[in-house]
Amino acid sequence: MSTTILEIRNVSRRFGGLLAVDDFSGSVGRGERVGLIGPNGAGKTTLFNLITGFTPVSSGFIRFDDVELTHLKSFQVARLGIARTFQNLRVMPNLSVFDNVSIGALGELGHSPLAALFGRREQAKAVSQRTWEALERAGLQAQAGELAANLSYGKRKYLEIARALALSPRLLILDEPAAGLNDTETAQLAEFIRKLSNEGLSLLLVEHDMNFVMNLCERVMVMASGRKIADGTPHDVSRDPAVLEAYLGSEESDSPEEAAA
Amino acid sequence: MRRNIAVGILLLLVFVALPGLLSAVGGGYWFRVTTTIGVFAILTMSANLVTGTTGLMSLGHAGFYGIGAYTAALLATKLHWPFLLTLPAAGLVTAAFGILLALPTTRLIGIHFAVATLGLGEIIHLTLLNWVGFTRGPMGISAIPGISLEGLFPASDIGHYYAVAIIAVASALVLGRLTHSYYGNALRAVREDDQCAAAMGLDVVRLKIQSFGFACFFAGVAGALWAHTTGYISPADFRFSESILVLAMIVVGGLGSLPGAVLGAVILLILPEVLRPIGDYRMVVVGAVMFLCILFLPRGLLGETPVLAILRRQFGLAWDRTKHLGWRQ
Repeated sequence: MSTTILEIRNVSRRFGGLLAVDDFSGSVGRGERVGLIGPNGAGKTTLFNLITGFTPVSSGFIRFDDVELTHLKSFQVARLGIARTFQNLRVMPNLSVFDNVSIGALGELGHSPLAALFGRREQAKAVSQRTWEALERAGLQAQAGELAANLSYGKRKYLEIARALALSPRLLILDEPAAGLNDTETAQLAEFIRKLSNEGLSLLLVEHDMNFVMNLCERVMVMASGRKIADGTPHDVSRDPAVLEAYLGSEESDSPEEAAA
Repeated sequence: MRRNIAVGILLLLVFVALPGLLSAVGGGYWFRVTTTIGVFAILTMSANLVTGTTGLMSLGHAGFYGIGAYTAALLATKLHWPFLLTLPAAGLVTAAFGILLALPTTRLIGIHFAVATLGLGEIIHLTLLNWVGFTRGPMGISAIPGISLEGLFPASDIGHYYAVAIIAVASALVLGRLTHSYYGNALRAVREDDQCAAAMGLDVVRLKIQSFGFACFFAGVAGALWAHTTGYISPADFRFSESILVLAMIVVGGLGSLPGAVLGAVILLILPEVLRPIGDYRMVVVGAVMFLCILFLPRGLLGETPVLAILRRQFGLAWDRTKHLGWRQ
């Protein structure tokens, strides 16, 4: 087993004339917390979509634990052990919290109509057990019976993560987990994510809240205009002239150094 | 225990109380009305699986119902197959057509899928209408044998009632297991957000095709029952307006709710019969009832969420008996 869990090599993605991701290479180590930052439109979410199979790669390859992901569909990528959350919260509002989280367990444990028709009770029990475990990890047991639509915004963030955890992922990809949260909630979320990481989960996250990234991540990759312009510890990256230029080029207050200070 | 009592009461109602009551009021006509309701209940339950649970708005369900009816009718009149063979054959042929047509169409989403199925329904209707050599076109197929058991009991209104009731209950059982299970959760996830479902490892395309296939199977079964109980079918029975009627039934009953689908069929078929004395105005009243239902009960008479909660509580369908969460399979 190598120490790298996710390897991205020379990946590009072209949308018509726009090169959204341009020859990007990078990696996530086993158990590592990696941040991906960059100005708006840098291609961060596109890169996430390439990894998770939502968008096909134009060139290059992506490898997860020695399995090539490049041409897999999103559900196949998820079954291999990469779970993700979305930039704009995507919980299923008309389903209960329990049923929402059970979706993640179903993805991994299988969902055949034959099982429903000629029921094997062990399978239903396994799904149910996995769901409770994920709910417990995210501290949502008390809300299990609520409709997801009735949860507060902050709780829905945890619901999305719980659903991802029910997949028993080895790599968790979070797209702007702290967006829309206040300072206290952000701190709690960072604590929760750190706890997951300590339990052995590898993490890759996009975030605009620089404090959050700088405090939580062990390594940071910086993207601008589809290219990787820096890769290193939060401390080094925040002093990198190329990074400062990319951020100062857009808006001063976005400077990672200033925000982290 | 509670579950057995609830199921027992329902079965007593369908197999003893209702036919007893209908016999008491003197039969024939009301037996035919309830038989039609039974056929439509199977049709609405099947449409509910694909439209209510999986969230694919199908506007061509009458077409698949028609394929089932013509399969059964042709096998019975030309090859003299007995009902016990034409019934599963109609289901399987319709499911095969459904899966074949679902392969390209389930990749479409939202309104595009609806329009594609609208087109399919029209193609099926026009084929039945114009392929005179095979389907006898607008003349339809007549003298389709009724449902009888050789030597035991001949085809009769009450016999048809029981045949339809047994098959409707069996269909409800199968469709109930499909929707009230973790598999049903997977289908609901596809409806709520198919991209997100895919990110959770669900094979969305396969789930859509499966649910369409199951829905078509039961639409075919309903078609076969219709053909055998009425004895005469023509393309006029399987027009776009029937698809819309089925859609209206499941929306009034509560989209996604299996008991709701049955209730919708009961209401929208009983109303026009009860209102016969006011003549042609009765369809205006039926329209008004539908309109008011949607206006005041946008989630239908038996909405999905409360129904799922009741089923899990009342019928012991939950693993967790204290919180009534999850599904037992």
